[in-house]
Amino acid sequence: MTIEFLFEPSTRGAPAREGASRLPARAGLGLKPQHFAEILATCPDLGFFEIHAENYLVAGGPFHHYLGRIRERYPLSIHGVGLSIGAEGPLDVGHLDRLAALLDRYQPQSFSEHLAWSTHGGTFFNDLLPLPYDQATLSRVCNHIDQAQEHLQRRMLLENPATYVEFAASELDEAAFITEIVRRTGCGLLLDINNAHVSGVNHRRDPQAYIAALPLAEVGEIHLAGFAEDRDAAGAPLLIDTHGSPVAAAVWDLYAFALERLGPTPTLIERDNNIPPLVVLIAEARCAERWIESVRRDRAEVAA
Amino acid sequence: MNKTPTLTTLSATALALALGTALALSAAPASAADDKEKCYGVALKGKNDCAAGPGTTCAGTAKADHQGNAWKYVPKGSCEKTASPTSPTGLGQLAAFKEKKS
Amino acid sequence: MSDQRIFAAALLDPDAPCPAGLTAWNGSDPIQRFAVYRNNVIVSLINALAETFPVTQELVGEEFFRAMAGVFARAAPPKSALLAEYGQGFPAFIERFKPARGVPYLADVARLEMLRVRAFHAADADPLPPDQISQALADSERLPALRVTCHPSLGVLSSRYAVVSLWAAHQGLGDLARVEPGVPETALVARVGLEVQVVALPPGGDALVASFLRGLTFGEAAALAASAAAEFDLTANLALLLRYGVLTDLRLPAEVSP
Repeated sequence: MTIEFLFEPSTRGAPAREGASRLPARAGLGLKPQHFAEILATCPDLGFFEIHAENYLVAGGPFHHYLGRIRERYPLSIHGVGLSIGAEGPLDVGHLDRLAALLDRYQPQSFSEHLAWSTHGGTFFNDLLPLPYDQATLSRVCNHIDQAQEHLQRRMLLENPATYVEFAASELDEAAFITEIVRRTGCGLLLDINNAHVSGVNHRRDPQAYIAALPLAEVGEIHLAGFAEDRDAAGAPLLIDTHGSPVAAAVWDLYAFALERLGPTPTLIERDNNIPPLVVLIAEARCAERWIESVRRDRAEVAA
Repeated sequence: MNKTPTLTTLSATALALALGTALALSAAPASAADDKEKCYGVALKGKNDCAAGPGTTCAGTAKADHQGNAWKYVPKGSCEKTASPTSPTGLGQLAAFKEKKS
Repeated sequence: MSDQRIFAAALLDPDAPCPAGLTAWNGSDPIQRFAVYRNNVIVSLINALAETFPVTQELVGEEFFRAMAGVFARAAPPKSALLAEYGQGFPAFIERFKPARGVPYLADVARLEMLRVRAFHAADADPLPPDQISQALADSERLPALRVTCHPSLGVLSSRYAVVSLWAAHQGLGDLARVEPGVPETALVARVGLEVQVVALPPGGDALVASFLRGLTFGEAAALAASAAAEFDLTANLALLLRYGVLTDLRLPAEVSP
């Protein structure tokens, strides 16, 4: 299988990773219908917007009306939440067709999906369900990513998951599993820092070591979000990836750690629950941009 | 098969009269153009996202909810304000539903 | 059974044991961790239904609605990843759901709300331009043979209940206490520009629109509607359809399809 990837010169991105995504190395926000009109009226200075693909796999109406206008003004990332790449069953070709049409219509600078499954036996569970990290799963996930990249005629980014259980059947650790997927399929990586933190706490592993073990040269985008805290049956902290609160201090620290290794990287502030006014999210995006700027300055000084 | 020879049709005169009058009546169309963009709220939010739910305790593990013979909820909403056509009192029948165990 | 099949079945069945092979670093019972997935599946589906059926929820209250939606979600989880389409079977489920039978109009209010979501996301189309109607009127001999095309967002619901008035009273239009639920109403649902409108169709309007959708000619549809409802008023129905931009084309059958 061969795929020709589009490479576009980036003025401000990290040259080594131009192929991973074509988003600008700035901060962006998840696009929410509550904010459509305000975005068009005020045109806030943001690097990009990101949508969940499945919300826009509809024929017409306000969602396409507003997205079309916002796309004229901003770079776009399309983030799938329903392809079920980790499913035991085959990928839904009809879903791939609809995704292809959406990508064709909006020409996003990035397309990403999750290392998870959400469909089985024709039922969609609307959740990102966990996978054992064994050889059979590895080969199935790689086949599905090959198929998706071929069908969509583009490189995709794969997001590291937030998980609440582990599997006795796992043979590889998560970072090694993802590294092997990237090596075999040529896909890029969407590094979700919140997921790295959440899974780190939930499975008591060092999130810095986890990030350092990933193929960072292939990271095309970063996600930042908030989590909620619960407890497992033994009373140990169990973090839930709710996207319902501001980015936590520990996640900002981990972001800084990652950026030092990555250089300036497109960064999304994700908020899907308890959605605040747009200005609140813009302020969070500014915070991410200050980190990106700081890393860019440091790199420029080293180079000079 | 949706056309049969016996299907009647209204006369051209009757149709013209109705359509002409309707056109005049509808002269102020309800469909406004894009110039009023900011007036349109988007009523629906997107339902697909990749966030997780509320943790370890709540509906997903509650067992009572899905047992028909132990239904414990009573409609307690705006329906209490409406008259119920099937109720002998004329008001909503809002007692808890209890299915007979067979 | 495959691993994912066992995992999937246990997600929807709170009585099922925790799938085998799940572990936690501290050796804690994985059932508590698995519950995060169970909750997320059910709660997210209930939330999706609550967003599609807000008036249905208001009518019976949040507690009753969410419990009822949970029973539905377990019995009929989505078949598609497009949650905007989820809930098409919910009105029929409500109709059969015995604890809700004290609110007999609930299922039809839910049908109306599903039509609203469908209309919201339906394909775009421009309403029939007035000059095209004027042209048709200028050549009125051809009127009976013309074919009428309707907007893709159009939905019609004929109810034994006052479904439009009940719905409108929850939008601040009218007093709910004054609505007679047992008065039959026919709802027209259509997207006008970017907004979904709900309006009561005059008698016979449902037959007229259904005939348009079946591909009958203008003359046949009008005659059929007149025979379906004694009080059928063609002018009033057409005025309403034009005002809401529901008619998108009007031409001879030969010109309709390529």
